[in-house]
Amino acid sequence: MIAPRPFRFFADLWRRDRLTALGVATLLILLLLGVLGPYLPIGDATRLAVGPRLSPPSWRFPFGTDELGRSFLPRVVIGIRSTFLLSAAAVTMTASLGTLIGMVAGYYRGLADEVVARSADVLFSFPALLAGLLIAAAVGPGRITAISVIAIVALPLFVRIVRSVTLALTGRGFIVAAEVAGASTLRILGVHILPNIAGAVVVQFTYALSIGMIIESALSFLGLGVQPPDASLGSLLRQASVYLTFAPWLALTSGVVLSLAIMSVNLVGDAVRDALEPLNRRALT
Amino acid sequence: MRHLIYAASTLASGLGTMLGAAVLVFVALRFVPGGYADMLLGPFVTPAAREAIEKRYGLDQPVAAQFLHWLAAIAHGDFGVSMVTQKPVLDEFLRRAPVTLELAILALIMALLVGLPLGVVAGVAPANAKRSVAAARLVGAFGLSVPDFVLGTVLILVFSMWSLWLKVGGFVPFGEDPVLNLRTVLLPSAALALFGAALILRTTRDAVLRVMTEPFITAAVARGESPAIIVRRHVLRNAAIPVVTVITTYFGFLLGGAVVVEVLFSVPGIGLYTYNGLGNRDYAIVQTGVLLAACVFVAVNMLADMLYVLIDPRLAR
Amino acid sequence: MTALIEARGLTLAYDSPGHRALALDGVDLTIERDESLAIVGESGSGKTTLGMAIGRLLPGEARREAGDLLVEGRSVFDMTAADLRALRRDKLGFVFQNPMASLDPTMRVGKQVALALGGRGDVAELLARVELPNPERVARSFPHQLSGGMAQRVVVAMAIARAPFAVIADEPTASLDASVRHRVMDTLGRLRAETRASLVILSHDLRMVARHAERVAVMYAGRPVELGPVAQVLNEPAHPYTRALMRAGAGGERPGERPEPIPGSPTTLSARGASCAFAPRCAMRRPVCAIVRPESRSIAGRQVACHFAEAILAEEPTVEETNS
Repeated sequence: MIAPRPFRFFADLWRRDRLTALGVATLLILLLLGVLGPYLPIGDATRLAVGPRLSPPSWRFPFGTDELGRSFLPRVVIGIRSTFLLSAAAVTMTASLGTLIGMVAGYYRGLADEVVARSADVLFSFPALLAGLLIAAAVGPGRITAISVIAIVALPLFVRIVRSVTLALTGRGFIVAAEVAGASTLRILGVHILPNIAGAVVVQFTYALSIGMIIESALSFLGLGVQPPDASLGSLLRQASVYLTFAPWLALTSGVVLSLAIMSVNLVGDAVRDALEPLNRRALT
Repeated sequence: MRHLIYAASTLASGLGTMLGAAVLVFVALRFVPGGYADMLLGPFVTPAAREAIEKRYGLDQPVAAQFLHWLAAIAHGDFGVSMVTQKPVLDEFLRRAPVTLELAILALIMALLVGLPLGVVAGVAPANAKRSVAAARLVGAFGLSVPDFVLGTVLILVFSMWSLWLKVGGFVPFGEDPVLNLRTVLLPSAALALFGAALILRTTRDAVLRVMTEPFITAAVARGESPAIIVRRHVLRNAAIPVVTVITTYFGFLLGGAVVVEVLFSVPGIGLYTYNGLGNRDYAIVQTGVLLAACVFVAVNMLADMLYVLIDPRLAR
Repeated sequence: MTALIEARGLTLAYDSPGHRALALDGVDLTIERDESLAIVGESGSGKTTLGMAIGRLLPGEARREAGDLLVEGRSVFDMTAADLRALRRDKLGFVFQNPMASLDPTMRVGKQVALALGGRGDVAELLARVELPNPERVARSFPHQLSGGMAQRVVVAMAIARAPFAVIADEPTASLDASVRHRVMDTLGRLRAETRASLVILSHDLRMVARHAERVAVMYAGRPVELGPVAQVLNEPAHPYTRALMRAGAGGERPGERPEPIPGSPTTLSARGASCAFAPRCAMRRPVCAIVRPESRSIAGRQVACHFAEAILAEEPTVEETNS
């Protein structure tokens, strides 16, 4: 009997590269949990006092209960959902914007390019969390703050890489040929340049996503991101750290799940990069 | 002469970046509810004091003029007065800067000690040494994935259960008791160092791998140079630029205030001060923290730009 | 006395996942002391692999399937890492195609040359030997401040720094301007004569070979198909491939004539050839060529691997005609 394709793909991956296979598996499981979370029979995230307060992990409450007697596992699942959703949404928006800006700057060069490159430098100079404090001062803590900070950090990453690849492309024969043939700028950017920078953008996306998750959780940990009663992995850890010595399982479970989530993104990102930008080197003997 | 021109252009572009950062901070401050006067004085101001401030900062003038006034004020070191202590904010920052600096330097040292050698080893390891390559990858991915506050929380948990010489919290200034100081700052530095170590490891490994594909490495092998010599004489220097970039970027961010770790471990550096400033709605502090951090970051990167020319002579052209 | 360098049935393959390419297919070749030998072929013919194998400078995916390569009677494949380094350092010198890329861009030329000398000579003196004008200034320069021709002279200087007994030059002038090519080659030739070292030139350029080498080995699909003194081989080629190469790259065309391209593309084998590898592109092929592998035979002062070498030699000397 032939195994279904996804399983064969995974078995192949496992044989070739276990670390990547583990990353892919973890990422898929966490994403599934995040998407299906509310429909899973793991208990209600919001019902108070379903069990004793701060009780250690048990069969009934695999991650224990929090200070209000809520089962912690469903809360962690909600946290996974909002951490992934918020970071992915912010990074996707930033990637689209950054790709557009970088392409236009790299294609037109001149003054527009200079302005874009300088602005990227300015954004890059802001330490993420201090920028978060400033934005929180201006618009108040919350999702908007988290998304803005992720955008400030990720935008220069995309603009810089897209700009430099576009700069390298514009002198190349096939672009010049398209220009001579009278293709519109839109067509050149969309049909000729975009496919050639897609790889670099994808590689950058995985990095930006992992950085975005770190920023989102750090802001939520500081109380500047996701606000209660909503929960993200960072805000769960913030509450849990109050009871660190009495109920360490709260901090440990949310911290470990958060780290696993970021790590799975990083491992998958590494594999993507190795596949798209391979290096052949020489041995020293 | 060439180097001088290069240095001057680096300086100019650095100052331009700082100016850009100032514009952004200025714009963000316009969004603060109550405006700049409230920001400096707090919500409980007498109309007279409010008017005095508005006159002093030219708040009744057009936005461009306001910006110039504001810029002139901060250029003279006038970042405003803390609402809570009624002292100049800049003095408060300068008082706390050494704490953050100590934390940053310790974290950088730890990150370098771990990241550099592992990165070089992983980079020059033969392609068939699958285990060592996988190990370096795992360490790198781990370090880049465990946020500093998660590691910090775990460290606090472990070291508050078993004291193990190091102390959790209760910061003591270096001038008062160096040993006690070290016992309190090693844990927060370690929490900060993990990310840096992984970052340096991966950047070093990638840079070394890239150099290893260069024909001059093949040429050195063909001259019968030993692997150790090739690495020391040819690989390290040619791989140095991306590594210097990532080290300075990391150090710049550390100096900009490791907000989360300082908050978590109650280390009274500029990160914690700025954070508390936000909590107290003491926005002059937030403004100063962000601006100073951005400027320090730019300054550190300017230094790196000047270092590049010393590493690779081709860049001086 | 043992030959300086000797390949005995050397068979090398490059392995990559799901793909295997035979780079050398049973090469028998001897390089004597104090001679200049050119190994000529299109890219993919295995000439670079053969040249690099002399110092065992092979990429990690290269695998020896059979045969051996001996330097002064010792197999390079049996040497320890330290012996191999000593061989490369003291007895062999390599010159690569792109001189700018084979110098360390971050190190002054003088220091690189001094490292190659290992304290056994004067940098400026060595640079003067390769006919570099103003050697002191060159020594103070970084590689990017030199021209391509100057950089290649530096590379040559580093190759002969320890008085090796063989210099292997892989397309030494391919990346240089036409005007300096012959001058760099003349320097190499003069140094060879002075030091009595052997010179192995790996090239696709038959005309350069004719001027700067004594013997030539024409490679096709991983083996020398014709090997002998330059004068004999190039004036009266006995292998159809040599003949085709002469026509394709002749360069002696009369006005209005174009070099005649060799039809088809170079063959890459994945296993030891059971037939003549050139047969699919050969104008003179017969049924036997697809069945029997031609072994190397001695004919008219050279080694040829073709079933019909005598017939080709007996034909009208076409190449001389077009070349005169």
